[in-house]
Amino acid sequence: MPASLMPLAPLRRPAARGRTHRGRNGLLLLGAAAAAAGAVAARRARPARPRQSTWYAVTVQADPAELTGPDRPDVLARLAERHDVRVTPAPGGRGAEIAVAAADGRTREEVRALKQLLETGEVLVVEGQPEGRRTMLGRAALPVFRRLARRGAR
Amino acid sequence: MKALCWTGVNQVAVEDVPEPRLLNRQDALIRVTASSVCGSDLHLLDGYVPTVMAGDVLGHEFVGEVVEVGPDVRERRVGERVTVCSIIGCGRCRYCLEGLWSLCDNTNPDPGFLEKLIGHATAGIFGYSHAMGGFAGSHAEYVRVPYADVNAFPVPENVPDSSAVFASDAVPTGWMGADMGGVGPGDVVAVWGCGGVGQMAALASLRMGAERVIAIDRFPERLAMAEGIGAQTLDYRRVDVLDALKELTGGRGPDVCIEAVGMESHGTGAQYAYDRVKQATRLQTDRGLALRQAVHACRKGGTVSVLGVYLGVVDKFPMGAVMNKGLTLRSGQQHGQRYIPMILDRMRQGDIDASHLLTHPLPLQDGPKGYELFKEKRDGCVRAVFHPGSHPASSQAASEPATADAPR
Repeated sequence: MPASLMPLAPLRRPAARGRTHRGRNGLLLLGAAAAAAGAVAARRARPARPRQSTWYAVTVQADPAELTGPDRPDVLARLAERHDVRVTPAPGGRGAEIAVAAADGRTREEVRALKQLLETGEVLVVEGQPEGRRTMLGRAALPVFRRLARRGAR
Repeated sequence: MKALCWTGVNQVAVEDVPEPRLLNRQDALIRVTASSVCGSDLHLLDGYVPTVMAGDVLGHEFVGEVVEVGPDVRERRVGERVTVCSIIGCGRCRYCLEGLWSLCDNTNPDPGFLEKLIGHATAGIFGYSHAMGGFAGSHAEYVRVPYADVNAFPVPENVPDSSAVFASDAVPTGWMGADMGGVGPGDVVAVWGCGGVGQMAALASLRMGAERVIAIDRFPERLAMAEGIGAQTLDYRRVDVLDALKELTGGRGPDVCIEAVGMESHGTGAQYAYDRVKQATRLQTDRGLALRQAVHACRKGGTVSVLGVYLGVVDKFPMGAVMNKGLTLRSGQQHGQRYIPMILDRMRQGDIDASHLLTHPLPLQDGPKGYELFKEKRDGCVRAVFHPGSHPASSQAASEPATADAPR
């Protein structure tokens, strides 16, 4: 529990319990200090988080030779202007592995789109389909969900 | 146009929605003539899938007529009557090329949710929430079909919609269950669940040469249908299933156990009560009673083939039984494109007829009633199928249960 939440519970207690404001404040401070000390101790005790790969990779059903050199697709060339891009043959003749360094959400979306384009010739669209009445929350949430679902995960 | 939309937990409504249009060059538009409810819809209806939203058009098992094709559609033609696979493949990624169509890399435009939840995104599915791509479903007058050349299959002239509609999902899913189990001559197969998919798994097992198929359910009309197909049946409310299966298999257990129930499994006793409480309190997402039983019942070295839909985690999964009995566990959403042409051909020849599953033909406007009948298993409902072209005025005749056709 964050330390900032700790003092709230005692404030809600009725005054009838006989504690003075000063006494309550003292307890609050004590609680906050204990929580802060606990949080620091917990953080120190926690092992370091495993390092995440800085490369985002997909496997594409394509000849690696077509994805390297001057004739590579424009989208891939543009990606290579902003990122380190690695193209290697996938094992077992499974096409090519495209890995992009330091890929943020937008780049991950671009890499996925590139894979679709190379494999199927188009990028599938779902915006503009029939839909019934959305709730106000749903109308606001759907674009956010889609953005996160297209960019968020590694 | 009219479409049946999810509007809240256990609520659906027919709404006016815009007509679909071609959004990609390989799309086709289909005028829906028949669209079936499916057991997996109940997980959406019951609120177990958090990515379904009010306003989403439901439905994924359907047949219809091609009315428009995109400029890059090569095989399909306007006017063709087609069955469309419920799960959308692209036909070009490694998975589709290997026949693992429901694992398609390219048909889920919003893959991040599944990538976080299960490690990787799987294929898009019509009308099955935004985790599965957010595609509008088929309980509507028209539906847009991406990659139409590989997902829509012409229906032979002599196969009626009442059977062809189930070539979209129930029949290929059932067939895949038997196929994954490696069912062959001499096998004894047990099937948990006698809904559309379970019955078709029983039928497929018999077509693959199984010597005996034992179907398990609790609804008399479903058990009667399974008997009509040629299966022996067990009513799990009346007999101890594990004991009965041992007796029926000379103590060995079934060679192949096909689980066609999924995450809202019913049962009896303390284990069922435990599952209900844990699911209601969100301490587990899926109830795995039938799955546990299938694992327990399966003979040493046998195969458990899981067709029932699971979404998250199942508590108390008997991994010890899987390991120590040397079981093979196989599962998956249907790779329908692999089976549908063969199934339609068998329907043409009269070798497969699934039309008895259609107990309640209804106009689309009666969609909420159809789901209520299906969910509550009222009036002998096995499958309600909506016909968007028909009107409520004819619903009286249309909603008469087709009981005369039932047992086969």
